[in-house]
Amino acid sequence: MTPLHWIGEALRGVLMEIPMPVVRGLFVGLLAALLVWVLTLPKEATRPRESEGGVVRAWEDLRWWAALALLIQLAIYLVW
Amino acid sequence: MNGSLTAIDYVVLGVYLAVTLAIGLRVARGMHTGREYFLAGRSLPWWAVGFSLVATDIGGTDIVGVGGAAYSHGMAVANFEWIGCVPAMLLAAFIFVPVFYRAGVYTIPEYMERRFHAGVRVALAACWLIFMACNLGIMLYASGVMMHGIFGWDPRWCVLITAFLVGFYTLAGGMAAVVYTDVLQCVVMIGGCLLVTVFGLVELGGLDGLTERLEAREAAAHVDLLLPVDTPTPFPWPGVFFGLALVLGPAYWIGNQAIVQRSLGARSEREATASYVSGAVLKNVIPLVVAVPGLVAFALYPDLEKGDAAFPELVSRLMPAGLRGLFFAAFIAALMSSVDSYLNAAAAIVSKDFYARFWRKETTDQALLAVGRTATFGLLVWAVGFALVLERLEGGGIYAVFQTLMAFFQGPALALLITGLLWPRANGTGAMTGFLGGVLCAVGLFTLSSETVSKALGWEPLFRIADPFLYFSVWAFLTALVLMVVVSLATAPAPEEKTRGLVFRRRGGAGKEGEPA
Repeated sequence: MTPLHWIGEALRGVLMEIPMPVVRGLFVGLLAALLVWVLTLPKEATRPRESEGGVVRAWEDLRWWAALALLIQLAIYLVW
Repeated sequence: MNGSLTAIDYVVLGVYLAVTLAIGLRVARGMHTGREYFLAGRSLPWWAVGFSLVATDIGGTDIVGVGGAAYSHGMAVANFEWIGCVPAMLLAAFIFVPVFYRAGVYTIPEYMERRFHAGVRVALAACWLIFMACNLGIMLYASGVMMHGIFGWDPRWCVLITAFLVGFYTLAGGMAAVVYTDVLQCVVMIGGCLLVTVFGLVELGGLDGLTERLEAREAAAHVDLLLPVDTPTPFPWPGVFFGLALVLGPAYWIGNQAIVQRSLGARSEREATASYVSGAVLKNVIPLVVAVPGLVAFALYPDLEKGDAAFPELVSRLMPAGLRGLFFAAFIAALMSSVDSYLNAAAAIVSKDFYARFWRKETTDQALLAVGRTATFGLLVWAVGFALVLERLEGGGIYAVFQTLMAFFQGPALALLITGLLWPRANGTGAMTGFLGGVLCAVGLFTLSSETVSKALGWEPLFRIADPFLYFSVWAFLTALVLMVVVSLATAPAPEEKTRGLVFRRRGGAGKEGEPA
């Protein structure tokens, strides 16, 4: 056993103790955190500038499309 | 194998190839400068770039490799297309791509020189060039394996013909030809692979039939996305979460020249962002067409010698004459869409990061076009040679080879991007030290975990899973990040011109394109 093996075994032991439902929570939590971040992005970063086309429609806001991608992911990792 | 093509198959294939070449040549007209060749003159619409992002990511290696991994290890391989892609694409869309776009760079290494120094540029450009050149060969080799498996054709001829077709329009039309042909290739690829999924599920009696068959084989866990730490597969959850979702995925979507370059050719910064977001939405369907068939093949034919034979087996046994041609077109489309992108990106690195930076600094944009085409041709010749060598060596485990090559430097490259864009205090000395330290860490771990070295030293293997690339990418990333932070703090801060317009700042008001971020 080398120090690298010792570190690896210790980490492996810790990770083995984590129940799979908690692991699922970790994946879902990551996606949920991203969803919150996307939804709180400033409008200027997600919508076309008014000078580009006048009225901005909801579907032109990239936040909603990003949120859609993440919601599909959330559904996949919650179910599968 | 009962896999010969009929006349109608050849017609389908011929129509696809003719349309692809027509698009490529149509776009090639009026090509005069290096900017047009490598960035399509910044004229690409978001939807085309979005399709192209997905098409580039799914190559022949993925159809054969992901299908094969799903056959051998189950749906956990779909993590590579889901948690390994979607979050990273969105982070890239809203944080990284806008900064690159506004910086006006052609390549990621070019950004690295402006943010750090020329040494970082050369180190990263060399890593990408070696990876992309090898990957080109691997992709062509995969095509030979697939075509030989289905049709019994000579794999060497398959490599040569594919290289000729891709090289033809990529040489002529550059990035614009690559992106517009990718749109067609993405549609054909998804459609063709979806047909295989549908035929397979019909054969099984639907999803219920698939589940029943897997349970009967005591392989219900084959559908699980999250596998425990002690799984015998290469996809335990810590590797997927820490290695894939947090390191390799972001490194690929934020720092892969072949991926990012097309977004730099978008019509505007907003369209560059929109292309990544649309690609993220589309990415959600990809495992259904590339991983599920592997699962179906496992349920139908559990005794295949190699997982990589899963897709060919399904096609040759289930697809009726006529539709085999469509699948074959899909496979060729996937292959071509990746090969053309890697060719153009590798040529951009040769031309911009080496030739125009160190050899002929006064190169004009017109001359860069000729340099780019020459580099493209040279890379194509190399790729064919490398593929033929792999074919002679009967190189297997395509997907593992691909991932291992990436893992050597992807983690350290991500550390470079994160510190470069998000931490103004990072400087060139820290960046260089961290990057080299991270790569050495990855190579060292790979070497020490190899069976030969472990036995020679009388050690137990460092990692207990097959192909532990996900794990050593995490350690390489952490090593690089710590070194970058420590060395940057211990040395003088980067001067202001190294950060102005080159680091991310959350905008209350978006700056105009060309203005500092």
